[in-house]
Amino acid sequence: MTVLTHAFTPGPIVASGQVKLTLMAPVARFSLRLRAANIPAVSKAIGVDLATTVGVRAANGTTESICLGPDEWLIIAKPDDADTVTKVCADVYASATHSLTEVSAREVTVRIEGERASELLTIGCPRDIDSIPVGGGCRTVIDGVTVVLWRDAEQSFRMDIWRSFALHIIDLLCTGCKEFAAE
Amino acid sequence: MLLIHCPYCNQTLPELEFTYAGEAHIARPADPSSVSDEEWRDFLFIRTNVKGPHYERWRHFHGCGRYFNAVRDTVSDRFLITYKTDDPRPELSKLLEKSK
Amino acid sequence: MSSFRVSGRGRVDHTQPIQFTFDGKKIKGFKGDTIASALLANGIHLMGRSFKYHRPRGAVTAGSEEPNALVGTRRGPGRFEPNTRATVQEIWDGLQVNSQNRYPSLSFDIGAINDKAYMLFSAGFYYKTFMWPKSFWDKVYEPFIRAAAGLGVSPTEPDPDHYASRYLHTDVLIIGAGPAGLAAALTAARAGSQVTLVDENPEAGGSLLSEPSAVIEDVPAWDWVAKTVAELKELGVKVMTRTTAIGYYHQNMVGLCEKLTDHLASPDAETPRERMWRVRAKQVVLAQGALEKPLVFDGNDRPGVMLAGSAQTYINRYGVRVGNKAVIVTSHDSAWYAAFDLADAGTTIAAIVDTRSEPNADLIAEATKRGIRIMAGHTVTGTEGRLRVKSVRVNPVTGSTVGQAEIIGCDCLLMSGGWTPSLHLFSHTKGTLKWDDERQTFLPDHKAEECEIAGAGRGLWGIEAVLNDGAEMGAAVAKSLGKKAKAASYGVANDRSGTGVSHKELPTDLDAGKARAFVDYQNDVTAKDLRLAVREGMRSIEHVKRYTTNGMATDQGKMSNINGLNIASDALGVPQPKVGLTTFRPPYTPTTFGAFCGYHKGSHFEVTRKTPIDSWAEENGAAYEPVSLWRRAWYFPKDGEDMHAAVSRECLATRASVGIFDASTLGKIEVVGPDSVEFMNRMYTNPWTKLAPGRARYGLLLGDDGFIRDDGVIGRLADDRFHVTTTTGGAARVLNMMEDYLQTEWPDLDVWLTSTTEQWATIALNGPNARKVLEPFVEGLDMSDEAFPHMSVAECRVGGFPARLFRISFTGEVGFEVNVPAHAGRALWEMLFEAGKKYDICPYGTETMHVLRAEKGYIIVGQDTDGTVTPHDAGLSWAIGKMKPDFVGKRGLARPDLVAEGRKQLIGLLTEDGKTKLEEGAQIVLDPNQPKPMKMVGHVTSSYHSDAAGRPIAMALLEDGFNRMGETIYIPMPDRVIKATVTGTVFYDPEGERLKL
Repeated sequence: MTVLTHAFTPGPIVASGQVKLTLMAPVARFSLRLRAANIPAVSKAIGVDLATTVGVRAANGTTESICLGPDEWLIIAKPDDADTVTKVCADVYASATHSLTEVSAREVTVRIEGERASELLTIGCPRDIDSIPVGGGCRTVIDGVTVVLWRDAEQSFRMDIWRSFALHIIDLLCTGCKEFAAE
Repeated sequence: MLLIHCPYCNQTLPELEFTYAGEAHIARPADPSSVSDEEWRDFLFIRTNVKGPHYERWRHFHGCGRYFNAVRDTVSDRFLITYKTDDPRPELSKLLEKSK
Repeated sequence: MSSFRVSGRGRVDHTQPIQFTFDGKKIKGFKGDTIASALLANGIHLMGRSFKYHRPRGAVTAGSEEPNALVGTRRGPGRFEPNTRATVQEIWDGLQVNSQNRYPSLSFDIGAINDKAYMLFSAGFYYKTFMWPKSFWDKVYEPFIRAAAGLGVSPTEPDPDHYASRYLHTDVLIIGAGPAGLAAALTAARAGSQVTLVDENPEAGGSLLSEPSAVIEDVPAWDWVAKTVAELKELGVKVMTRTTAIGYYHQNMVGLCEKLTDHLASPDAETPRERMWRVRAKQVVLAQGALEKPLVFDGNDRPGVMLAGSAQTYINRYGVRVGNKAVIVTSHDSAWYAAFDLADAGTTIAAIVDTRSEPNADLIAEATKRGIRIMAGHTVTGTEGRLRVKSVRVNPVTGSTVGQAEIIGCDCLLMSGGWTPSLHLFSHTKGTLKWDDERQTFLPDHKAEECEIAGAGRGLWGIEAVLNDGAEMGAAVAKSLGKKAKAASYGVANDRSGTGVSHKELPTDLDAGKARAFVDYQNDVTAKDLRLAVREGMRSIEHVKRYTTNGMATDQGKMSNINGLNIASDALGVPQPKVGLTTFRPPYTPTTFGAFCGYHKGSHFEVTRKTPIDSWAEENGAAYEPVSLWRRAWYFPKDGEDMHAAVSRECLATRASVGIFDASTLGKIEVVGPDSVEFMNRMYTNPWTKLAPGRARYGLLLGDDGFIRDDGVIGRLADDRFHVTTTTGGAARVLNMMEDYLQTEWPDLDVWLTSTTEQWATIALNGPNARKVLEPFVEGLDMSDEAFPHMSVAECRVGGFPARLFRISFTGEVGFEVNVPAHAGRALWEMLFEAGKKYDICPYGTETMHVLRAEKGYIIVGQDTDGTVTPHDAGLSWAIGKMKPDFVGKRGLARPDLVAEGRKQLIGLLTEDGKTKLEEGAQIVLDPNQPKPMKMVGHVTSSYHSDAAGRPIAMALLEDGFNRMGETIYIPMPDRVIKATVTGTVFYDPEGERLKL
């Protein structure tokens, strides 16, 4: 098991056979807020759909969006594309007002995968994990901490955690992996 | 732990995702400087504190982040309804009839 | 093996002997035994002493309802548990068991003197005795009560075990894996429902485990259990044993406590001892069966006196005869079967005493066949035997006349007063109960949750009836989930169903006032106590309960409730349903604190938030202090330095040259949108319209009551973008408040809020050389005083990283705060620290930050304010935009109390001797010679030693403080009174000269 520090160096954290935890490489991440009328213009500018149902995702190449609230989306892009996202949004701002705030460094992302990945989440997450469809996601709570959970496959999740809470949550997940291994 | 229906997410979710936010339908006066001391006191402090169906606010704090309204029976701890902030205040008699 | 163990009998593994100790003595048992069954197999009935009278007690049950056989168990270093129920705890090699509440030994206990003085210890004893004199309370009564309180001894060592928790969502949760639960699970699972089945026992089967002779659909009961469990697992049912449903909460949330290691000799180190499950079920089936009631008669608590059904469990499940010569006393058919099973296993049944004059003819025939003496229409009026029952006093009853007594010798007395449906969890839901006159018990009535009650829990008796009811209820819950379900119909042979009657105390020919007829064994409550309580005026069952403590022990009256109710009802002359039942509350059985804590202990007790620069501080020997959930570098002691020396050095170094400080924990909120300036105008007291992009301002946030909530420096990055900072502890609260106003009061504003607290690492540089250290790293910004004056903000690059640079000061020195993306925080810190070495740069922590700001009179919200302080009180009237039509708190500031004269105001204090540092929180008086209690006129909010001022300085909230400048006030301390002079709050550089480059 890798001892993770606040340097948050990407790489494997733990692999118990049934669950693998990996700290993922940084991405460009934006909080996007706007009113319904401006969805088409901003969506077109960024080049990714902006779903109007909470929890629904869209992707175009490496750019992804997830609807987190009635006027809120999280946009994920390659780090190299960060400036582009900022620029294209600024270009349509005058006609389609919105708020684009970069939060790339705010969170770190952990990949949770393996045959018991969804079960591992139940050690701290009160939401019914089975209610999150593959290809969907949600903002929810685990062990008292707000996270964004992306379900990429039946047993593969990404979890975005604010930096200062991340080690606490990763510690909990590692404890769960040890429990599984001892069963 | 209660289950709460978020009217914005349209999902029924565990209480741990939500925070309580006090009594509902207490609007901040549009022009505070024109209201009397007594009116301002009532706005700040006076609450109904009902035993029974209570109009109150919740926030889907660990979810969509929206404040919304609810009617919850403070005796049974049951929600009669949750609704969006800008929806009209539902009539109690109709809610009680529906919950029967 | 002892003569009490029946070879080949029971479900214990006779090929796996196990040795444990009881009060240091080696005891042999088999795998599958509980402590109680193993002790009974060795002829040991005496297992503990009672709570109040220290009476010798033995196991009265074979399950989790046990009130008597509570023991201390040790599972190795640190692993000690008091009040373990011997009837539940499984044995393993090396388990150490000790009896409790006795001194010096279990068989000779000095505390038993209480028993002789029992007439003194009647109901309400504590209320009557410990009333006066008042002075006795602290010194005499309380120590006495504390010493006497409780049965076991609390563990003193830290618990080395760990505990776990899980959430589980399931369609159907079935509680209890006896016949009803198994049938319900099978039916629901066959219908395609997702089912979870839990039972507190180590294996499924429930009462079937004690009824091996029953035959279900031509299959012997035990085989049927095995076959059913196998099919359930095949169908994907989650079968959880050693798992107690402890509480039933709103909307079908059920708490389960799963015991994982207490039954193992050498558990895996990573396996948690217990796991708390929080289960959300769409449907719940309560199949918890029924609990047997004792009969209430004099001496019904001696070791060897036991429930008949439990004796049946000991012989059939554990292969243990509970005695060689038994007397049965019963008002229910079920006890007859216990007698038959024991007789068939070789125990002499001296008599079956049935309170009913005409017991079932079939039972009489069976007993006669075995040559058992039948005493129908008899009562038991007493028992003898010091540490074990040795005889029973039996009398005939004719009408209301109790006849001549006969003494019958025995070594165990098996009783049954009928059965009480186990409705504890149902009661947790606030489901209502209805009194059933025929069965003389409460049955479930109106349901408050999506659940069904199956089997003996709703008063059904007999395996066949219970199985069929379980199947019906399994089908019912499956149907309510939209499944097509069909309830199987079960036929059972050798089904030993029966009926019975219910009693208050058994009739007696002796003085009832002297009878030791126990109702609540664990709390030593007798029938006499209950009647006394009624005589002394208790009318409500809740009052009777509290006055006598009936049902208030750790078993929550599982055995005593109905007997207590029957007696209270008789004494009150009111029928039972009018008397009512006390409330059952979670947990169903005692539950460890560990199970509730789960993962939240040790380093995982609570989140410890750390900044990106925290690791540098740790490597450089920082002392830390907690600030909300953060740990922050408090000061950086060099070798041999204490806190005072380190802080003093850090302060001087910063004022002399340059200090570097990690301010990353400050809350940050990005306010963006065309209406952002309007939003800022409405939220903060200050005017924002004229603040140009590139400039920053101190912002003050009030509540609508007019009191200070938060503050921070706010930079305007563009016309429609503000970078707001908040206090460390206020970050989440402020954002919540802003969202509240925005979403619910001003939804028309085109502005959005985003938390960026963790996006940025924030490094503060302060001191006359701050700019010299920073400037070489800054690209794209003219840092001259003219281009970038005090209270400026700019987006630029610092050290190669994109940055938001503020020129602000919380120290009174030239100051900068550099925000860079969090991942770059430590790298930039190290660059600046290296470059600063030629200016003797000094890293400082929160304590120095506090001293430096206090020297300048800058407030800390939450330290110098307490939620009742207005801007005027804090000397911040200048921060109010008086021309603005409205802002949050403006109307509040005009409230009569807030404009009144003489409010507590923030002032400075200098102690008269120039040396004494005041204590924060110390109270202030105007006249130290006034009589106590003195009138307190304020308190010290901040106090430090200041090298810059050359003396201790303090701030305080003082009534009418602004009008008391120069006056002397007094701070009384335990050992002396300190004199201080009221001053302004700026102790250093009042002209602000040092802010200039």
